[in-house]
Amino acid sequence: MANVTFPFPFPEHLSSLMPEMFVAVIAMALLLLDLFIPREKKCITAYIAIATASVAALLCVSVNPAEPLVGFYGFFVLDQFAVFAKVLICLATALAMVLSVQYMKDLENVGEYYVLMLFAMLGMMLMSSANNFIVMYLGLELMALCIYVLVGYQRDILRSNEAALKYFILGALSSCMLLYGVTFLYGVTGSFDFVTIGKGLADAGSSSHTAVMLGLVFIIAGLAFKVSMAPFHMWTPDAYEGAPTPVTAFMSVAPKVAGFVIFIRILDQAMPALQHEYTMILSAIAVLTMAVGNLAAIAQRNIKRMLAYSTVGHVGFVMLGLIAANDDGYAGILVYMSIYLFMTMGAFAIIIIMQREGIQGELLDDFSGLSKARPGYALAMGLMLFSLAGIPFLGGFWAKYAVFIAAVEAGHVYLVLYALLFSAVGAFYYIRLVKYIYFDDARVQFNFSESRLMQLTVVLMAIAVVALGVYPDPLMDLCKSAVAAMI
Amino acid sequence: MIGLSDYLIVAAALFSLGVIGLFLNRKNVINILMCIELMLLAVNINMVAFSHYLNDLAGQIFVFFVLTVAASEVAVGLAILVAFYRTRRSVGTEDINSLQG
Repeated sequence: MANVTFPFPFPEHLSSLMPEMFVAVIAMALLLLDLFIPREKKCITAYIAIATASVAALLCVSVNPAEPLVGFYGFFVLDQFAVFAKVLICLATALAMVLSVQYMKDLENVGEYYVLMLFAMLGMMLMSSANNFIVMYLGLELMALCIYVLVGYQRDILRSNEAALKYFILGALSSCMLLYGVTFLYGVTGSFDFVTIGKGLADAGSSSHTAVMLGLVFIIAGLAFKVSMAPFHMWTPDAYEGAPTPVTAFMSVAPKVAGFVIFIRILDQAMPALQHEYTMILSAIAVLTMAVGNLAAIAQRNIKRMLAYSTVGHVGFVMLGLIAANDDGYAGILVYMSIYLFMTMGAFAIIIIMQREGIQGELLDDFSGLSKARPGYALAMGLMLFSLAGIPFLGGFWAKYAVFIAAVEAGHVYLVLYALLFSAVGAFYYIRLVKYIYFDDARVQFNFSESRLMQLTVVLMAIAVVALGVYPDPLMDLCKSAVAAMI
Repeated sequence: MIGLSDYLIVAAALFSLGVIGLFLNRKNVINILMCIELMLLAVNINMVAFSHYLNDLAGQIFVFFVLTVAASEVAVGLAILVAFYRTRRSVGTEDINSLQG
């Protein structure tokens, strides 16, 4: 009989999990509480959920460790990198819920909508702290299952159902591919722990070369699906167009943050021995992603579809940070994701204000003449679009600058030139929309579904984009120190 | 004697059947769900084979998690399919065509 001891340093490890436990408990309590809230007062559920996400962000900051903390037998890691990602995720979720209040209020069963968002957020927070493929997989699936349902939340609208179905099928396929890849790395190294796998792969001989390559390719393919890199982006435009617009805003930011964070952890810790191979694969994917995203966006008439392809294009730019594979590159990814959050949420807030009865008001033509009807919204939308296009001295410029400089320093000059070419192509379709807003005559009767909360969000996002454009140094320093303190 | 490679070949065959079924299937969405299940089972065979070969329990633990998640995944998938059927009155793959561009 083995001597059983409990090497379980209970309190301090448990407190590192504080934000996640808080979100899990409140989300489950809210699910019950929602039953007792009358139908016309469902906005109470929304406000509780928004408060939960905001408090979770504060809790994440409060557990921010000076030194990386590995707990729960190496399953869970808490470092400043994870904390930064979690704060971004909580912020994105809170903003998406703020955008939902007005949009979803006529839907039945709207209470569960916010609970699902909280659970998706919980999954992403766990993903950012994963130090092991088991935890990563569970976090990923918690996020994915919630988002499948959120995409199909408008149950009586065909395109919402169809988007959910397509997203579900391709999402499940990508999970299978990811898992299949993980099995090979497990077979070669005998562990699911990122660091142990990293050591095992460094020692692995040439006899296991095929298995290692299979593992690498399948894992990259599986993760590429989740962050919509071409050629695994097929679900993106359909899911973005069909989903309720606040969900589109949510899934264009939060899962991308979590996806890139886990991508960085896997490449940096589990696969440093394969850097040559994964750089080649990722470079090929990045070349394709930038081209597909930016070229296909030009042909779109629906703004949600256009922003879907624009997300694919942006993911292509963010990949330069992964390819650079150094601290500057990873810090660049965090900078890009933070600024992308503000730009995207701002743009979607205005799209939601423009929408009537759920689906109208999302063709590009519907934005014609917005500047005469509402100069304020037109100015904010213009700022977001210029920022997305990467015009200097708006936030989006520094986002691109951070990853491009990192990639140049790592020696990928041609890739960066190629990226510059496609960010010029990208500027075309953003600025075309600005032309509709400022220089065309109105074709539809404007009828805004606005509220004080939405207007406040738009103003805050616009201020953030301009402020980060003029003075990006604090954000850049914060991202650098977060990456420097990574495990 | 059945060795590790035999198990891996079976798993690879099952996984490929799943992928092929997913992309060549022209009939209905239920088939797609079955193909996804097939792929997950291939993953499980791989995991258990490696676990036995390495004499390490972690792989079998992971299999339990995969089975649990697969069950909830199918539940969510079928729920989405029911909602789709209510509005479209069909589960045929050729009827999933309203979003294009």
